[in-house]
Amino acid sequence: MRAERFVIPLLAAALALPVFAGQDLDCLSCHGDPATLRVAGQAIGKELDDTQVAALTVAQGGCPSHMGLVCADCHVAITRFPHPAETRLANPCVECHQGVVDQLNNSVHRDPTGGSSFKVQCWDCHGAHGIYPPTDQRSPLHPYNVSRICLKCHTNAEYLNGVHGQGVELGGIIGSATCISCHGGHDIQKTTDANARTARRQISFTCGRCHARIAQQYRESVHGAALMADDNPDVPTCVDCHEPHATPNPRSPRFRASSPQLCGRCHANEAMMSKYGLSTEVFSTYVADFHGTTAELFEEVTPDQPLNQAVCYDCHGYHDVYAVHDQGRKQIEQNLLKHCQRCHPAATPKFLSAWTSHYVPSPDQYPWIYYVNLFYKIIIPGTIGFFLFFIGTDVYRTRVNRRRHGGES
Amino acid sequence: MIRRFERRHIIGHLVMLITFTGLVITGFPQKFPSASWAKGVVLIFGGVSRMRFVHHLLGTIMALQLVYHALELIWFLWLRKLPPVLLPTLQDAKDFVQHIRYNLGLVTHEPQYGRYSWPEKLEYLALVWGTFLMVATGIIMLYPVRFAQLVPGQFILAAKAAHGGEATLAALAIITWHSYFVHWKHWNTSMFTGKLPKELYIEEHPKEFAELMAGMRPEPAPIDTKKFLIFIGIATVIVLAAIGFVVWLRAVPVAIETVRY
Repeated sequence: MRAERFVIPLLAAALALPVFAGQDLDCLSCHGDPATLRVAGQAIGKELDDTQVAALTVAQGGCPSHMGLVCADCHVAITRFPHPAETRLANPCVECHQGVVDQLNNSVHRDPTGGSSFKVQCWDCHGAHGIYPPTDQRSPLHPYNVSRICLKCHTNAEYLNGVHGQGVELGGIIGSATCISCHGGHDIQKTTDANARTARRQISFTCGRCHARIAQQYRESVHGAALMADDNPDVPTCVDCHEPHATPNPRSPRFRASSPQLCGRCHANEAMMSKYGLSTEVFSTYVADFHGTTAELFEEVTPDQPLNQAVCYDCHGYHDVYAVHDQGRKQIEQNLLKHCQRCHPAATPKFLSAWTSHYVPSPDQYPWIYYVNLFYKIIIPGTIGFFLFFIGTDVYRTRVNRRRHGGES
Repeated sequence: MIRRFERRHIIGHLVMLITFTGLVITGFPQKFPSASWAKGVVLIFGGVSRMRFVHHLLGTIMALQLVYHALELIWFLWLRKLPPVLLPTLQDAKDFVQHIRYNLGLVTHEPQYGRYSWPEKLEYLALVWGTFLMVATGIIMLYPVRFAQLVPGQFILAAKAAHGGEATLAALAIITWHSYFVHWKHWNTSMFTGKLPKELYIEEHPKEFAELMAGMRPEPAPIDTKKFLIFIGIATVIVLAAIGFVVWLRAVPVAIETVRY
């Protein structure tokens, strides 16, 4: 019944189409509303499902800068009714936005043929009809929405649980980093590409766009300086410690408790450390100490309990780590008592040697510890060896006696 | 069945059994923090802080037992004039040599032991000395800041090394020496029941058995009033000294209370 009510206007519209081509109102008389579109489809014998209806319905309004455009500016092939399967120019956007083509063709989303059929088309990110500037919350590229756009293809959703993702998603913070903040928009490069914003050499500048002081400190540190000086492949960059997408909260108990393992990934790696003449004992000597023992047991068993034990960065610094054979030694020695007193307010200079400064005790370094250990290294096997020897002779005697008595009786 | 141990022996052994075992269980995960079993033990206690609390609690009980034992020794050896049966004598050295020679088949007679054989004396003395060492090094580790005001900090780490080494020695000694004599060689329950079967008494302590049969069980002397008052004085001094020591230890905070569990 309702269908019939629309047949006549629709036919009239179809007949008039060539005449009125370019008049948005005519397009929107069918495409402006899902119910109307469905009925119009039925009228030409097409049963449209919900997805199709949603895809073919065009909302009113849109980006002010596109107000001068009409439907047919992009959908050039519409000359008759029903419409041909493909009505649109291959990429109508580039008709105006010429400059973006080069940018995109130098990015990971390039058109393999060098044309404008990009791997990700303009409207996949910007929206097709309701195009708004990215500063507008209605834009799919507004910070609140951008991760959903990228996650349609890139399925690593770790970002959403990181401090940045949560800053956007839970905190609603516009300034919190989104995919675009680090990877760029039209000019996204592979991380392995030296020019990428996420390349090893570039990443501190990318993070530094927001975390400027930290990035500066990092580049002056032993790690950052080696990277800047000769592209050292071993030193960590921001993302090696903070993880590129998961970005765990560095002030969380979990981050603190697992931080010795984080440093240990490289500093307990014999192959890597031997290149720089660094000892891998730094990790084992830390774990063998009071703080390290607790941290080790915490990390595995109760990672989310607050760990009130000194970890690597409490003495060595976070981003401003300096080599201990260089200015770092002075930095640590001068401040060591102060560091201790942060938790042990009554500590005196004598207290400092209650920590072996990563030295393995030897007759020269920390001899008391060395000789106590040596004493037990001798006394334990000696004593237990004697015990076992005596027990052995006693068992032997018991057996012999039993056999003898058994034989007699 | 012949009575071998008094109630005080039985209770003392039970307290030592519980504290020793508990301290081994809560202590070794701290000596070997990277071992997988260590993590399992910590999980049972619900975190390293709680496990450490249990360790400190049991250690305190053991320390109190040590102080109590010192008073006990004064009471029984000096005031009640019981013979110091656990003191090593020249006879023990002779028995030791003879026992080994006997085991190896070099002599035909095994040594005739009195109330305590040399393996028992050895274990007792090792236990008392070991307990003293563990308590002392444990206290140093509990109050590192206080002790570092007196001695260089490396003594705290030396105390830690000694604590771990002595613990290993003690645990291994229990597993070998103690287990062999009272569990393996004979299933000896006299430390829990106070009584030992006659045949076992004759086999293990023939000399003492003969003395007991002759009615020579040493009886504590009656309490002398003057000695009793002196004992009270000594005991008061020891207890007050212990309390004063703890107050002195705790006068300086170890660390700020950043986290409470």
